[in-house]
Amino acid sequence: MRSLRREPALLLALLAVIALVLVFIVYPQVQVVVAPGSGGYASFLEGGTWVTPFVHSLEVMALSTTSAVLLGFVYAYAMVYSDMRWKPFFRLIGILPLLSPPFVVAASYILLFGPRGIITYGVFGQTPIIFGLLGIWGVQTIAFFPFAYQLIADALSRSDARMEQAARNLGAGPWRVFRTVTLPLSRPGLGAAILTTAIYIVEDFGNPQLIGGQFTVLPTQAYNLISGFGEFTSAAAVSTLLLLIALALYLAKIRLDGGRSFVTISGRASSMPRPPVPAVLSWACFSGSLVLAGVILMVYGTLLVSALTVLFPINLAPTARHFTFVVTGSNGDALRNTLVFSSVAALVSAIFALFAGWLVQRGDWPGRRVLDFLLILPAAIPGIFFGIGYLTAFNQPWLDWVDRGALIILSMVFWNIPVGYQAAVAGLRQIDRSIDEAATSLGASRLRGFWDVVRPLLGGSLRVGFVTTFVRAVTTLSVVIFLFTPATTVATIRIYQLVNDLNWGGATAFTVADISMAIAALVIFAALARGRLALGMARG
Amino acid sequence: MHLRVSHITKRFGSAAAVDDVSFDVPKGSFATLLGPSGCGKTTTLRMIAGFYEPDAGDIEIGGRRVNDLPAHRRGTAMVFQDYALFPHMTVYDNVAYGLRVAGRPRPERDKRVNDTLTFVGLGGMGGRWPNQLSGGQQQRVAVARALVIEPQVLLLDEPLSNLDAKLREQLRVELRILQRRLGMTFVYVTHDQDEALSLSDWIAVMNAGKVEQAGTPWEIYYHPRTAFLADFVGAVNLVPARVESVGDGSVTVSFGPHRASVRRPVDVSLSTGQEVRLCMRPESFTIAPAGASANGLALSGTIARRAFLGDTMRYWVKVDDREWIVDQPDPGATETLDGAVLLSLRPERVHVIAES
Amino acid sequence: MTPELDRRTFLKLAGATAVITACGGAGTSTASPSFSPAAGGTVAPTPKPTGRISVYSALNQSTNDELFGAFTKATGIGTDVLPLAAAGELQTRITAEKNSPKADIFVGGSSEFHDPLGKQGLLEAYKSPGARDLKAEFKEANGLWTGWYTGIFGFISNNDRLAKELGGKKPATWDDLLDPAWKGKLILPDPIKTGGGYIFMATQIFRFNRDEAKAMDFMKKLHANIAQYIPTSPGALTLIDQGQFVGCPNWSHDILTEKGKGNPVDLTVPKDTGFEVGAVSIVKGAKNLPAAQAFVDWVLTPEAGALNVKLSNRGSTLAGVAPAPGAPTLTQVSLVSYDRQWATDNKDRILKLWQQTVGL
Repeated sequence: MRSLRREPALLLALLAVIALVLVFIVYPQVQVVVAPGSGGYASFLEGGTWVTPFVHSLEVMALSTTSAVLLGFVYAYAMVYSDMRWKPFFRLIGILPLLSPPFVVAASYILLFGPRGIITYGVFGQTPIIFGLLGIWGVQTIAFFPFAYQLIADALSRSDARMEQAARNLGAGPWRVFRTVTLPLSRPGLGAAILTTAIYIVEDFGNPQLIGGQFTVLPTQAYNLISGFGEFTSAAAVSTLLLLIALALYLAKIRLDGGRSFVTISGRASSMPRPPVPAVLSWACFSGSLVLAGVILMVYGTLLVSALTVLFPINLAPTARHFTFVVTGSNGDALRNTLVFSSVAALVSAIFALFAGWLVQRGDWPGRRVLDFLLILPAAIPGIFFGIGYLTAFNQPWLDWVDRGALIILSMVFWNIPVGYQAAVAGLRQIDRSIDEAATSLGASRLRGFWDVVRPLLGGSLRVGFVTTFVRAVTTLSVVIFLFTPATTVATIRIYQLVNDLNWGGATAFTVADISMAIAALVIFAALARGRLALGMARG
Repeated sequence: MHLRVSHITKRFGSAAAVDDVSFDVPKGSFATLLGPSGCGKTTTLRMIAGFYEPDAGDIEIGGRRVNDLPAHRRGTAMVFQDYALFPHMTVYDNVAYGLRVAGRPRPERDKRVNDTLTFVGLGGMGGRWPNQLSGGQQQRVAVARALVIEPQVLLLDEPLSNLDAKLREQLRVELRILQRRLGMTFVYVTHDQDEALSLSDWIAVMNAGKVEQAGTPWEIYYHPRTAFLADFVGAVNLVPARVESVGDGSVTVSFGPHRASVRRPVDVSLSTGQEVRLCMRPESFTIAPAGASANGLALSGTIARRAFLGDTMRYWVKVDDREWIVDQPDPGATETLDGAVLLSLRPERVHVIAES
Repeated sequence: MTPELDRRTFLKLAGATAVITACGGAGTSTASPSFSPAAGGTVAPTPKPTGRISVYSALNQSTNDELFGAFTKATGIGTDVLPLAAAGELQTRITAEKNSPKADIFVGGSSEFHDPLGKQGLLEAYKSPGARDLKAEFKEANGLWTGWYTGIFGFISNNDRLAKELGGKKPATWDDLLDPAWKGKLILPDPIKTGGGYIFMATQIFRFNRDEAKAMDFMKKLHANIAQYIPTSPGALTLIDQGQFVGCPNWSHDILTEKGKGNPVDLTVPKDTGFEVGAVSIVKGAKNLPAAQAFVDWVLTPEAGALNVKLSNRGSTLAGVAPAPGAPTLTQVSLVSYDRQWATDNKDRILKLWQQTVGL
């Protein structure tokens, strides 16, 4: 703490971060949590309508997390360990489910795998009832395995190849090495991956809403209380319940993180290659990934086809009219807003998260654990309540000068803070403190050292924060649905309206446009980032 | 005094990493904090640098109390054990970093960086990236980067420990020459007593958070005040003994059947009957086949083992149920001994440690 | 965590995207600078309201554009429309915005969504001259909201599957849906999640003269035939369009719209059905009250009523407005005596009763 007093600028920066967190994370959420009042909570708990969705939520969480993590694990193993072919292709496929608003994708599943689905009935003559637990399970598995895959791949790739080589040297086979060396080494990372995926799944609203039928989980109950009956207080109580589950998961994750991490991070990178896996295994990985990719491609292919036909699946005459519709009128504005809001939010969120992560990870001041907790908290808040919290908190007469677009951006920034923050903390753990100290000892203030030395070295974390925030901002409906205004409509709102209007062709065309735009933006950012890196290399 | 550390204490949790440590370092001298790992030497260095906050005590640099100054305004610069080079900057940019932060104009910066790089033997390598350099070169960059800002005190935290033995010795010499030439105050932390002895004007040996003894390398080596010190700095024969009588400049001690009159250590009070330890360095002995004439204190024994170390032959000689370590210089010049031998030692080479 | 982007793979896709994003720049505005005399040519005693109003609309997107365009053309008042075809979300939004209201008008959605806002004091009472002749059940007594359209609950069926699997027999009464032939082929908007589903259930209670036991017995038998309760009313229509299921009680105007698009579906309205009253209300704290009142006045003109009928297949609350071709009207169909106030007040209890009855 005294070290902060010695550097007033650093103290000010810290206070600013704390103030922003209090204003933009804590204050809006308090609005939601206190909304029902004690009487509201009492009658809600006594009413008991929450019991079934609560149990359902836990069931779905257990099932979908298990399958998504297993699938993600296989995919990650295939990508990190095997030398299967087409890795870039599989990498792209692994991103697709992250880039699409889930409520349209779930509809595509119904078309393919419903009781009269193109595959289930058309090909196999089966009429499965996919509405309910089964459907949610299937769709969430596909939708969330990419998250699990990214997290697990990260954990696996951090295990030191030298140890695996050593184990192989001692005569262990590939499977044995994996079981006795790789797996135990990456256990903390795996645990974190499982719990993070579980949090995403338990707060998923879009998929259960579309394919859940009467199988109600907490997020759909909360949403439908609002949408069907305008019952805000009960919905807020449901949301608080959901928040508690997510918090429990988060605390479990903290415990895991706090436990000894065996992941070997040495300052000097090991350039040793991983021991090769048998060709059979590579082929198994390849075929497994191919099947998965097939399912994903089919789902997105269906979207593309319905966007290009008159009335899918009844009238398959090709037409461009849905796309014409998407690019005319105010629809184009919505696409542009999506791009602008998401990019700005992603950039601000990633940089802010990086700075906050640095303050917390490198700090020695009291209360940093509380800040750490608050920066992760938004991960546990359902988007719809983040949005309502913002509207309640910031729709004030004296704030009317604030541009609504700015408010939307702020909501996206702070709702997504946990991603960038966790990436920053993980990244900082890999950078020895002496790097910061070297800058300080050469006369740079700690803030300057952060900017000159730590920030450039955390490019990877910054990229994770940026890309994930961007992707989530592009695909979020729930956060913005209470904040958007006519001038600040975004693509997901449009798609939602089109789905409600039963304009299926328009909705799919809009989704295709949205996904394509997001991919294009990511490509451009990737190219720019690489360009800057190349520039830095050339400067020497 | 240029650097004054008075009564500093640092606790981590309940354990005191540094416990009431005080010392002074004159301007332009090469001071070393020596000790085993966990003794508090690096913690002390980091408190001087400003990376840790002392729980008690003061630190002064150039007569100014620096406790309340942040690390970047203390006029210190640090060379880190693992170099801590900025991997995203070239050698030039690494070295220029401190000058850039200080806002020095570009021409001056260029000149000073290039001069310093030449000075450490890296002229013309400014365009390289840290990962293109060998360990020794990286270490030179780290030193250059710290030197170029002309700190009042240069702090070095085990800077040579990651290098191989040959290079370590070479850089040791270079560092000493560099320090002499610049007349800069160095505070050096190491666990390697050879390094400490060869580099320093002054050494403080630390153990368990305290300074056990401070002084010139000579004092530390030949007149250690504790058994720990004697044992930590170099190989030693530590023999329990008893004070028989205390004279003016000498003291008579007995161990086993032997009796000797040796130099009386200053600043230490001894009384008759006191249990002490005798500290005798292996190289202080002369070893000869049994039957040779002794010079001073004579001990008869048998060779138990020996090891050829190149510049010396080390013998473990059994004398009265006790193994003594004895070094014979230039082993190529004499024949290798075996069996019964005679050890002789001039009494002034025996150092008495009051602690038993 | 990094979604590793492979540049080359993406660049192939990027070409296609560039075209789409490049075309999306131009926006349009519904504002019209021209001034037109009020519809009907009546002479207004007070100065004409001008400016713009902010409209929260639960109407369909396609209806919004034309309807509000016509309003602007008729009155010269511009509109900023916040369209969200989900009245509950708009209701929540107006509640959450009460510190600094952003809407002047809340239009569309059954009166059940307007009424609680009025009770919370969030609506501005206004008795429009156009509402004078409306039946009492179509307006709030104090003028907090006014009903301007009606929607009747009907039944959608998928033509092919109905013909093949049920001999083409459409239900004439709701009781016909208890036929075991329907087992697993019916869906229903979830009564807990959708206003439509609840109105359907309340209708059953009124059908049995508020004998809740009989109504629940019906719902229990119906439950045996229902494959799924669907979380949204439009979502249920899509599933029938696709032939995933055969039939579903739903809003007749939306069924007609789906049919009009070329989907192989048809509408029937079984005996003793229920309906909604689509409302319009003025939000308390409206920035432009005169213009908001002018909007309510205009919505209650026969011209606006007729336009809405044309655009949405709904009925008008005005006696003189003709229904859409093929659309059922309140006078044609057989209606239960639907007590909206009772249905609203007893909602929680009825839903809980239903949950216990069917065991959900």
